[in-house]
Amino acid sequence: MNDKIEEVTALIQEKCLWQFFSRSWDREENIEGIMTMTGKILNGDKVNLVTPADKAFYSDAKLLAADIQKKMPWVSELDKSGVLELIEGVKQRLLYITVKKSRNCELNLSNY
Amino acid sequence: MPLKLFCCDECIPERKNHVYVKEEGEDTTQFLPLSNIETIPGSISERGCSYCGAKLVIGGVIKDCIQMIHGPVGCAYDTWHTKRYPSDNDNFQLKYIWSSDTKEKHIVFGAEKQLKKAITEAFKEFPEIKRMFVYTTCTTALIGDDPKAVCREVEKELGDVDIFVVECPGFAGVSQSKGHHELNIGWMRDKVGTLEPEITSEYTINVIGDYNIQGDSYVLQKYLDKMGIQVIAHFTGNVKYDQLRCMHRAKLNVVNCARSAGYIANELKRVYDIPRMDVDTWGFEYVKVALRKIGAFFGLEDKAEEVIAEEVAKYEGKLAWYKERLKGKQICIWTGGPRLWHWTKALEDDLGMEVVAMSSKFGHQEDFEKVIARGRVGTIYIDDGNELEFFEVLESIHADLILTGPRVGDLVKKLHIPYINGHAYHNGPYMGFEGAVNMARDMYNAIYSPMWNLAGKDPRVVDSPMWNLAGKDPSVVQEL
Repeated sequence: MNDKIEEVTALIQEKCLWQFFSRSWDREENIEGIMTMTGKILNGDKVNLVTPADKAFYSDAKLLAADIQKKMPWVSELDKSGVLELIEGVKQRLLYITVKKSRNCELNLSNY
Repeated sequence: MPLKLFCCDECIPERKNHVYVKEEGEDTTQFLPLSNIETIPGSISERGCSYCGAKLVIGGVIKDCIQMIHGPVGCAYDTWHTKRYPSDNDNFQLKYIWSSDTKEKHIVFGAEKQLKKAITEAFKEFPEIKRMFVYTTCTTALIGDDPKAVCREVEKELGDVDIFVVECPGFAGVSQSKGHHELNIGWMRDKVGTLEPEITSEYTINVIGDYNIQGDSYVLQKYLDKMGIQVIAHFTGNVKYDQLRCMHRAKLNVVNCARSAGYIANELKRVYDIPRMDVDTWGFEYVKVALRKIGAFFGLEDKAEEVIAEEVAKYEGKLAWYKERLKGKQICIWTGGPRLWHWTKALEDDLGMEVVAMSSKFGHQEDFEKVIARGRVGTIYIDDGNELEFFEVLESIHADLILTGPRVGDLVKKLHIPYINGHAYHNGPYMGFEGAVNMARDMYNAIYSPMWNLAGKDPRVVDSPMWNLAGKDPSVVQEL
């Protein structure tokens, strides 16, 4: 699973801008929202789009899920709990790289 | 490899913290060049000033405003000829320059009366224009003028005008980036929400960080029109002052240049709960993703696919032709900030090119996180690069082409390496599907131009191919 987590993390690092929003709370919100939505799409679960933020997370997640399915055929072999484990692992890796261990000194400035 | 110290920087070793070469397995938690800090004395920066960031990059694009520069007339340099952002109202903003033209006596006795005189005169000369931006400069900031008070007085006297004051003198920050920040936050604070727009579609967006360079905004507008999406405001390409006051009514903020304009998107998200969606609008494949994401947000996926299919049919073949000729070519991207991360993967994925060195004038650490995450192993990443460093990079790597601005571009031309003006293209637009082809065409023309073979030849040398090609008799040269 670790290799799979690294593979998806590498894809997101290369392609996705939402992980690099200006502030820590923005990044955390995006990682949680978009990755959770990606997991639901990969698992074929119903998504409930209530708020504008939900719709924004869905837009990014839809494209990411399609990219994962296209480039990583192994994802179709994962069962539901496997997908959730993958998503949780990717969330933690992204949080580690872009928030917890980020060297970006501006992440917590109030006026960035 | 960790951070790198160039040989030319041995006398300013602090520069080591601004240069990084990526190695396999490394990420930005291990190395991230310092950026958005003061230029180190001894390093000749290519940066612009904070006032330039506000005036030249953002405010100056707005098409129906008088752009009053409160300072010596020299500060009005950053005007019509230094950027190419056309507008559909006959390029009003590119045709005229306004300055309060302060002189020594105004500096000694105060320049507020001079400013008021200039503002009143400008409105009188252009009676159809009712909106104005006023910028402070180093000079007028230092003498303690209060331009806001002056402008409120003028607004009261004239009654039908609206003025926005940007207090961001050149020295306010370490680079033009400070000017972006100040204008974004100031506009959000003073103007957003002060007017209601006419809503013509249930799908409304602001396009943020899009300056209509050579018609970029026209391309995006065309796609969005086809999808039935109303653009409340392009911040700030081909846009009216009053449209920008209505930004609070968009349902989505689509952000292109996050460095110059991400601030206002952040504030619109915080204050009005409007989501921010970051996209890449340069690059053939990236534009597909951008349109699909916008389509998914509004449930307009079919419309997005229609636009994509139509554009791909028109331009895919042309792009493929250039890809055949550009793949494997090595390029440097030495621009302001965001184009590094917008262009890197686009040029590598769409055209098979290799980005071997990147430099940012005013990028923040967030930009370097993006650049390094998207960039190749072995690529050199430089913050606030100087001339000698650029020369050293070019000695150590092979570069077929440099994407940069005229300042550095003219330097590299002397080394007979082609450059393309990445700040204000010469043959744009570069955005969208057609823009990706235009950019590929310009890169092809630059790299394959026979001029570069001739440029290094001395015409006074008898066997110079320059003379042979021109059909001249070499003996003529002897007489020169």
